[in-house]
Amino acid sequence: MLADRPPFEDLYRDFLGRIYAYVRAQVATPADAEDITAQVFMNAYQAYGRFEARNTTPAAWLFRIARNATLDHFRAHGRRERLRRTIEHQPVAEADPAGVAEERIQYRALLSHVAQLPERQRDAISLRHSGLSFEEVGALMKCSEDAAKMLYHRALKALRESVKEEMP
Amino acid sequence: MKDDEDLELQALQRQLDDAFETTRPRAGFEDALWSRMQARRPLWRRIREFFGGLVDSVREAPAVPGAAVAALLVVAIGAGVLALSVVHQGGGGSTRGLSRPESDSQFNGAASFGRLPSPALHPPPTADTALPKASNPGAAAQPAYAVYLGPANLAWGGRFTFQLISAPVYRYGEPSAADADQFAASLGASRQGGGGAGALGSYSGDGFVLGVVGSIQALDREPSFYLTPDQTRLPAPGPAPAATADAFLAAHSLTPTWTYAVAVDQVGDVERVRYLRQFAVPGAGPAFLVDGLGERYGLEVDLRGGKPLQAIGPMPLFLASATYPTISSSQALTMALAAAPAAPASIQPIPTVNLTSVELVYALAIAGDHSFYEPAFVFSGTFTYNGVAYVKRVLVPAVDPSQRSS
Repeated sequence: MLADRPPFEDLYRDFLGRIYAYVRAQVATPADAEDITAQVFMNAYQAYGRFEARNTTPAAWLFRIARNATLDHFRAHGRRERLRRTIEHQPVAEADPAGVAEERIQYRALLSHVAQLPERQRDAISLRHSGLSFEEVGALMKCSEDAAKMLYHRALKALRESVKEEMP
Repeated sequence: MKDDEDLELQALQRQLDDAFETTRPRAGFEDALWSRMQARRPLWRRIREFFGGLVDSVREAPAVPGAAVAALLVVAIGAGVLALSVVHQGGGGSTRGLSRPESDSQFNGAASFGRLPSPALHPPPTADTALPKASNPGAAAQPAYAVYLGPANLAWGGRFTFQLISAPVYRYGEPSAADADQFAASLGASRQGGGGAGALGSYSGDGFVLGVVGSIQALDREPSFYLTPDQTRLPAPGPAPAATADAFLAAHSLTPTWTYAVAVDQVGDVERVRYLRQFAVPGAGPAFLVDGLGERYGLEVDLRGGKPLQAIGPMPLFLASATYPTISSSQALTMALAAAPAAPASIQPIPTVNLTSVELVYALAIAGDHSFYEPAFVFSGTFTYNGVAYVKRVLVPAVDPSQRSS
């Protein structure tokens, strides 16, 4: 184990919740979010031997895997259908009623608005509020730190408008 | 106006922070997923971690064959390894002929190996008592059930169709370093090191490195080899993972000669081809070999991008056999329902499980100079707890208790 590479279990415990939240903000159901999160960490576990800390942070590395896994999920399952369910607030059958209760209703509504944003805006919001720096967000989204900041602020304003439109 | 807008955005940011910080998976997901990942680690990695500081490394073969010496596969054996003794090993590098019975005495009231140790289920040393594993090894991309070995209120709701009177037991002697040398030489490999504290040896061949270890009681593993090829000298991938693995094993004279069924799993970016070992039971057909979780196992070849990464499997050993009397189905059932849990409780309240299936298997009982593959019944039933599907397993040794020492 290299000195600058933490044990994988530390990464797992530190990032599981954040990765789940990032994924959950983009998919329709907790079950989908769990499936994708599981795939993220399975893939990361297999690939950890090739992770080089000098090239990237563990957070950026994990979120890149999560981002790819989420995109794969949309490719496989059809993002349009998932978004339609979210937008129309049509609840998908939940496998675990207790899990539903654990999600705070108001935050689910807010995250559903995040899910409606254009892809890059949604990513900027989700990555930033998952704890990544703008530099890391920019690296993941293949743009500069300044461009990531601008994208984020545009996304934030778009989100505010989206929330306002729904308010009675 | 501008200030109001800024305040609105700041409030929204706080809400987003809260939303992301409080959006978490359901209770139990974190531990269940971690257990699932642990259970799906390659065996060599579990062995390396089990032995902790005693183990030096298990490395991939170098790109430059000349540097192979620097990439010795060194696996140390610690307290889990039992005393070594000379074994009868078949000639040649392949497993061909090594599983032929030394003798096959008919049971006459005094089985030839004497009283036998009892095989048992138990969790691996670093895992929980609820260990997610694939219930269908042929389609194991996503495990369907977590294996639960803790206490449960058991009932029986299946059919028991086995009508056994006796079954063979197979015995091997613990190999020595000289036996490992002989095995390595048959593959064209020469010794590069002793492998540290108790490892049987590490070797280098033409385009591969090889390690050999003895029995590991805590992992329920017989003496095993680990072969890692030079990635720059591999033949073109076959049309399917199993074909590639077949060719790889054949090229190294490691094709199993024991009976097996093939399963292919996807584990991350690795395709794992598993040759699940079987033992023939007269009148009952082939029975799979299972580990301490009740999972079938045998020889594994990991592939990435269609290329073999590593093969791990049982070291070819001569197996002696003797026939032992077995318990009746009603005895097996009674013992299953009364069996002590193989692990402490990890689920509360204690679940009620309806056992619905039973399978005749072989399980390894490691016991000093000689160890045994013994017939056993594995009873299984599923249940759901906190949204997670579990399979509860109970292993009942099939050899009559009068012939067992424990």
